[in-house]
Formats: sequence, structure tokens, C-alpha cells
Amino acid sequence: MKAQPGRLRSIADVASTKPRSLPARAGIGLKPEHFREILVTAPDIGFFEIHAENYMVDGGPFHHFLTRVRERYPLSIHGVGLSIGGEGPLDERHLDRLALLLDRYQPESFSEHLAWSSHGGAFLNDLLPVPYHAGTLALVCEHIDRVQDRLKRRMLLENPATYVEFAASTLAEPEFISEIVKRTGCGLLLDVNNVYVSCVNHHRNTHAYIRALPLDDVAQIHLAGFAQDEDADGAPLLIDSHGAPVAQAVWELYCYALDWVGPTPTLLERDNDIPAFPVLFAEAQQAERILCRLQPNRAHEACA
Amino acid sequence: MSSQSAFAEALLAEEVVCPPGLATWNGSAPGKRFAVYRNNVIVSLIDALADSFPVTQELVGEQFFRALARQFVRAAPPRSPVLALYGDGFAEFIEAFPAATGVPYLADVARMELLRVQAWHAADADALTPDEIARLLGDPAALPDARLILHPSVRLLRSPYAVVSLWAAHQSESAALALAAVDPAQAETALVLRNVLDVEISAIAEGPATFILNLQQGVAFGQAAGQALAADAGFDLAASLGLLIRGGVLAGVEFPGSTHS
Amino acid sequence: MNKPMTAAALAIALGTAMTIAATPVAAQTADKEKCYGVALKGKNDCKAGAGTSCAGTSKIDHQGNAWSMVPKGSCEQTASKTSPTGKGQLAEFKEKKA
Repeated sequence: MKAQPGRLRSIADVASTKPRSLPARAGIGLKPEHFREILVTAPDIGFFEIHAENYMVDGGPFHHFLTRVRERYPLSIHGVGLSIGGEGPLDERHLDRLALLLDRYQPESFSEHLAWSSHGGAFLNDLLPVPYHAGTLALVCEHIDRVQDRLKRRMLLENPATYVEFAASTLAEPEFISEIVKRTGCGLLLDVNNVYVSCVNHHRNTHAYIRALPLDDVAQIHLAGFAQDEDADGAPLLIDSHGAPVAQAVWELYCYALDWVGPTPTLLERDNDIPAFPVLFAEAQQAERILCRLQPNRAHEACA
Repeated sequence: MSSQSAFAEALLAEEVVCPPGLATWNGSAPGKRFAVYRNNVIVSLIDALADSFPVTQELVGEQFFRALARQFVRAAPPRSPVLALYGDGFAEFIEAFPAATGVPYLADVARMELLRVQAWHAADADALTPDEIARLLGDPAALPDARLILHPSVRLLRSPYAVVSLWAAHQSESAALALAAVDPAQAETALVLRNVLDVEISAIAEGPATFILNLQQGVAFGQAAGQALAADAGFDLAASLGLLIRGGVLAGVEFPGSTHS
Repeated sequence: MNKPMTAAALAIALGTAMTIAATPVAAQTADKEKCYGVALKGKNDCKAGAGTSCAGTSKIDHQGNAWSMVPKGSCEQTASKTSPTGKGQLAEFKEKKA
């Protein structure tokens, strides 16, 4: 949240509460495979991010370890199952579960996707694409209003990676997103890999896409790797696999985006073929070095 | 039909079909692009089942398991976005699956693996400390009417098959060797519990099974032990209590007329 | 209704049980965390599969016809076994560590 102009925060405010936002550093997705190593080695990481739904269970090892990680690091909670782009009403029971989780872990950031994943009571476990027109815009905004109302906080919306477009769309994706941000006051989670994947898949200019987004409202960035395939005519079709290191072209697009948005908390996502923790750590360090270049006064070893 | 209904239906359809209204920048046929979504949905849900039912998979092999799981995913997609507990009904689906009839114990192994997943994610509860247990011995007269509270992870499965032995054989490095010693037609009752962070599975006799079920139903300590002895003349109460204490699942004691534990 | 066990029998059993389970559970927690292997993964992801055309990988939806398939796994090892297991009442097995 932006500070209210003219209002000074008291010292008590600052001292008694956790930081209200993630640090402008690199973070890593928290994986059960790495729970122990993180607690034992205490790596110098800006923050960790979890997928909310994985922790919507009553108890057990996931909560045990997340509690300990959260005591030591800033936390981002990233939802993957709210189906904000769904035609039907939001799942209120799922919102209740989210509220409970956010209350328990008090994350510095909460984000969800511009996508749908549930339909007719079935959960399809993928981030499915939404046509962009006035009707869907109104519906998505209504859902985001409800989310922010129920969770009593600003959420960040992530731009999607898509493989098809819709004949019914009348708005370009960045336009659609800008309008959502304007109407709901939500922030933007800029997934740079998704920008790259979607722009290649739909033959669009990545720089123009980024410049058309509401860049003042970018509060977090995601980076990930993609897989390559071809469409029916042999044109490149990139797939948001989260199963590979960040591609060089995506690093370059990241630098381009940072020039516009300034130092921004940046998550390295890896969900497929998860490597040993040091591999992810090294990738995070690469992002840290890029972030450091924008913050010459920052004292951090990655900045040396 | 709404556009999302058509999209969702095509994702789970047996035949590869493409929903209407898709567009591509180069006019290419959208089927291959749509197939990315279809693939994500089906494969990720099969993967979720493979993670929760590893021994079920090992018993029939990956190829068979994934084909079986695929049918289940299409017939019974998750009803909740929380995939951790996906798999309700999988055992019943296996029971009715003609190609699996040659492995009659497969459904019960799956049933037990679902209990393992449930125990893993069950609510936390502190075990009674040795001091707290010792204090109970200070007032033996209150014991028969006391209610012993078990940890929320505790689950039982009575099976006509050797589910625990089959499962245990797959925990060793040489499953084939360990399996050679298992008679699958031997009935077993599985006790599934979470001991701090680890789920433990053991085979228990009828006495302890009756005892635990009675405790879970809120039957008083003395009565539960009496029922167990009636069900199984060899019932060893001390051994059963030792099993529960060592497993970290004796989580509380309530006395009638008092809410303190 | 069966006859409940007496207070004396319950107390003796509880006392014996405490010596059976000599290790205090609370002291095990730190140790458990140290040698803990995470057996289950997080199942909710926002990843996509690794493509649609490389049918040789196991991550692709093969659409195999399961109805005509034959299980080919470790279950073949248990065919026509008759020997008793010999497993004790309290035999307990730890999960294979990841």
C-alpha cells in the first residue's frame, strides 16, 4: 500500500509491526524438498513464496516447516486456485481458507492470477485463459473487489502465460489489465517470463507490451524458465513450464522492465524438475546483482 | 453453453476436441495450442495421484497406473482447489476397474495410502508428556471413567489383504525380495498415525484395533479396554498403550464432569 | 456391554506402557526435523507441462487404453504366495526416505 501523503508513521508503528512489503531483493519459491536445508543453512534470501493451496491443510509437516521459515524470512503467498477469471461466483469457502492462511502467516504480499481454474464444481488445476472484453472485465473486477474486501488487503494480479487467444476479445491484454488495476486498486505482479511466453506465442512486441502495463502499480516480479514447442504451422509455441533456468531473453526483458519500474521484489519460480537448492540460490543471486545495479547505495554482498 | 463450459468439457473429453471461439495470430489450427491446456490438466492431476499413491503405482507399474489414474481424473476431477487431499474415491474406482481385478488387494493399498496422506496433513496436537501420564497414575480410581484423546492423525483400516506388509515391502530398497515373503491374502489391520513429522504405519491385531476404535468413539478407558479384551483374548493393554505413547498419539485425557485434560 | 477393566489393571498397564515407550516424544522433535525426509510434494503449482508433441516423455497425456492393459509392476512378485508373513503384532515400518 502506498503511504498516505502528509501522514508520518510513528516510531511505534515501525517497531511493532512486520515490514508491510517485501524487500526489493530476489526470492525463491519454497519447496518441501528444501525445507530442511533452508533451516539448517539459513541462506541469505530476500523472501520466500508459497502456493497458498499447498498449505490449506489442518496441520502436519508443511505447517511445521513454513512456520519456522516464516519466523526467519519475509513471505509472499501466491494463490493458484481462486479462479478469479471464472464465469461463476467466487468460491467463498476458498476465500475463507485464504483468509485463515493469511491471518496465520501475515505475509508481506498476496497475489493471484488473471485466469480461471474451476468450473461447474470441478477444479481443473491449470491457469486457463480469459477472453478480454467489457463483459469479462466487469466480472473480473467484481471478483477482485470481493477478494480485497474479504481479505481486507490489496492483492496483486499476475499477468498470464497463454497459448490461445479468443475471437471474442476486443481489448489487448495490457489494456485489460490496466483497466482492472484502475477500477479495483489492485497491484500488478509482473511475470516477465509470462510476458515473453505470451508475446512469442501471439506474435507481439514484448517492450510495447510492458510499456502498456500500469507500471506504477508493479509490486512484485516473477522470473521462470519455459519449454519450447511449435504450433500447428511450425511457429514457436513457448510453454510456461517452470522447469528450466531463466532464459537469456527473459533476463534481458527483466532488465528492460526494471528500467521502468525500479528495484522490485523478484521471485525465481521453479516447479518442475526442481534442482538442488544451491542451483536456485545461484539464480537468485543473478537477479540480486541486477537489482543491486539499480541501488548503488545498498550494502549487500551480492552488490559487491 | 457458456464459453468456459465448452472449454472445460473439451479439457476432460475422451476425444481430442477443440472448443469454439479460439483464435491464433497466424491462423494456425488452434488444436495443438489448446492441447497444452488439456495436457496440463490431465497430467498434473495424474501426477498428484502418483505422489499420493506411490505403492499403488509400484504394484502395477507406472504405465498401468497412469492409464488408470487418467480414467479416474476424467471421471472424478477434484471438487476442491486443495489438491493435497485429492484421491477420495480412487480406491472405489480401482475396485470397479476391470483391468485391475488381477490385483485384488490394489484398492485396499490405495485406501491405506489415502489414510497416510490424510494423517500427514491432519491437525496438530501435542502428545501427553511423561509427567502428565505419571500424574494420571496418582489417582487410579479415576482411570476407568477417563476418556483418552487420540491425535487427529490416527486412522485404522481393516483389510482382508496384507496391506501393511505389501506397503512395507515397498519401503525397502529391494521391494521384489521383500515382496517374495508376503502373502497378500493374509488379512491385516493397518494403524496409520503421524508421530510428530513422520507418518508411521503398522499392522495391529484385533484387540488393539477394537481398543483404538472405542477410544476414538469416546468410550471410557476402562470400557474400551474391556471391549478389546472381549474381542481378542490375547489383548495386551500395556503394549497397546505403549504403541500409542511411543507413536506420540496419546494427546489428552478428559474426566467426566471436567473439561480439563 | 462387556465388563470394563478395573482401575488397578488400567493403572498397571499404563505404568508398564510408560516404560515400553521410554523415549519422551518431546525430545524427539528436534531430532526428527534434522533427519526428516519430505515424502509428499506440494501438489498445487502454476507450472505447465513440458510440451504437447514430445510423446516420449512420461509427462504427456498418452491416452493409453487402460481397459485392455495388464498391470506390470511389483504385484507380479506376490503371485501364488502362501507363506505366512510372520510379522509381529506391533511390527512397524518407517517410510522410505525421499
